[in-house]
Amino acid sequence: MVATAPGRAVRRVATYVGAVVVLIVMAFPLYGIILTSTQTERDIRSADVAFVPTYITTEHYTRIFSASSGVPVAESMVNSLVVAITTAVVTVAIAVPAAYALNRMRVPGRRLILGGFAAIYVLPTLLFVMPLFITVVQLGLYDTYIGLVLPYVAFTLPFMVWIMGSFVRSIPVAVEEMALIDGAGLPQLIFRIVLPLLRPGIFAGLLLGFVLAWVEFLTPLLFTSNLSMLTVTLGLFRSTMDIEIGQLAAATVMTALPVILITAFFQRNITEVITAGVER
Amino acid sequence: MTGEVRAEKTIRTVSRRGRRAAIALVAPAVLIVAGVYAYPAITTVAYSLSDIDLSPRFRIVRFAGLDNFINQLGSERFWEATRITLYFGLMLCLVTVVVSFGIALLLNKTFLGRGLLRVTVLLPWAVPPVASGVLWVQMFHAEFGFLNGLIRAFGGEGGIIWLGGQTIALHSVLIAEVWRWIPFATIFLLAGLQIVPRTVKEAAAIDGAGSWRTLRHVTLPLMLPVVIPVVIFLFVWAMKVFDTIFVLTRGGPSRATTTLNFLVYRQGFEQFDFGSAASTAYLLSALTVLAIAGLGWMLVRARRLAGA
Repeated sequence: MVATAPGRAVRRVATYVGAVVVLIVMAFPLYGIILTSTQTERDIRSADVAFVPTYITTEHYTRIFSASSGVPVAESMVNSLVVAITTAVVTVAIAVPAAYALNRMRVPGRRLILGGFAAIYVLPTLLFVMPLFITVVQLGLYDTYIGLVLPYVAFTLPFMVWIMGSFVRSIPVAVEEMALIDGAGLPQLIFRIVLPLLRPGIFAGLLLGFVLAWVEFLTPLLFTSNLSMLTVTLGLFRSTMDIEIGQLAAATVMTALPVILITAFFQRNITEVITAGVER
Repeated sequence: MTGEVRAEKTIRTVSRRGRRAAIALVAPAVLIVAGVYAYPAITTVAYSLSDIDLSPRFRIVRFAGLDNFINQLGSERFWEATRITLYFGLMLCLVTVVVSFGIALLLNKTFLGRGLLRVTVLLPWAVPPVASGVLWVQMFHAEFGFLNGLIRAFGGEGGIIWLGGQTIALHSVLIAEVWRWIPFATIFLLAGLQIVPRTVKEAAAIDGAGSWRTLRHVTLPLMLPVVIPVVIFLFVWAMKVFDTIFVLTRGGPSRATTTLNFLVYRQGFEQFDFGSAASTAYLLSALTVLAIAGLGWMLVRARRLAGA
């Protein structure tokens, strides 16, 4: 079939119409929550939904961060920051050496370890959570930072080893060989050569660990109950906030914001990782 | 190829120096994973075979044999949840893949604003599951939600109670989950589309195939080895959906959105019946593994077909 000029024009129009539809459908829910967070409670509860705002108010944001707020949003953000940063650092610190050894050294049971790390994600998380819950309670870790960080680290670790492995493999082997020929021992090899070359990977891993811990919901839901241990995700529930829709929307935006910023910043890298996965 | 040969060489070089060092480097990761996965996984087997009392404190009352499993398999609730889970999983895969495939085909063209569209399509992925749940609760709100508002704006009645009825609630949860997984599926499929050699498509066009026939007979068969892994990922995630259901419906109305995974939560942490929850969790695992095995078999066949 030879495409005629009008046929081509029709196709171009169809492409743009499709693009606009996709754009609106994918962005609309996010637009909706941001819009809600900037309207007064009275307008939110009106049945005439104004899709284009005539004003913007920041009252919900000021309210959720004020001391008199019913939900300690600021405190929950601090909790989540502490837990997420600790998780990221610990996970990367454990995952990098493991990923290096699994990809560049002869580890007994290497295939079993890598296979097991992948198979874990097939099983429902709740399967592991029940005994952990008992253990956490018995060890007195319920409602503590450690009680959250420990499961977070473990839940993130297998995936992190896998991701770090792809960074390790991207280091040219020749560099390491040269160092070995020059008589470097394993510690020098790792600290002088491998770690500096892995810096971008480590940075990406830290952000990934942070994001995964930040968004975790099941663990804090089950392993904490005290308001002083509230995390941001849990804060969206363990609260009376659903009475104030505007404040809930504002808190939701604040919860999503760090992750959206990190993703937007790294969207090209994320795409690359997936593309590399497809090619394999 | 040479890279792999060289990697093998380094493995040998380093291993002569330190097999013990290698074990030391892997040990912390393996120990933690074993402690948090292997130990609980085995303990959960024990739970599934026991009568458990949680109050006043955790206690295994007696060895119950296969009673928990038999009870589950004999209960209407279990089969109801299984039906819901399978329907939900299959629909999530189907709808997400079809929609994402369309978006991927679109993003595979060159047009003004493609970069913007690509970022926008990625965005839902960056929304924490819980936040996405809250966002959809507000979208679905019966009185002043955006969806009903939209329907009214176009002259409709707009009185749909999205999370109220049994059937519609399940599909509302489905919409929210599809929205969340479109980014992953689209990027994955787009990467696949870019691998399909342009020359093959051009050859088809020269042979007189229109764009629909090229898509149907050339692109789709070649894409099958990429589509199936996406389906596997989506299915596994569908089996594990928790946050969205918790936020939107808590498994209701009257169990209409209680998938097996959510049933495990209800049995374990609402009724504190760890024995039942553990057995349900293992039955769900078996279902997941079975489905993956089936899909994996299809993948092998598809690869062979695409290669032939």
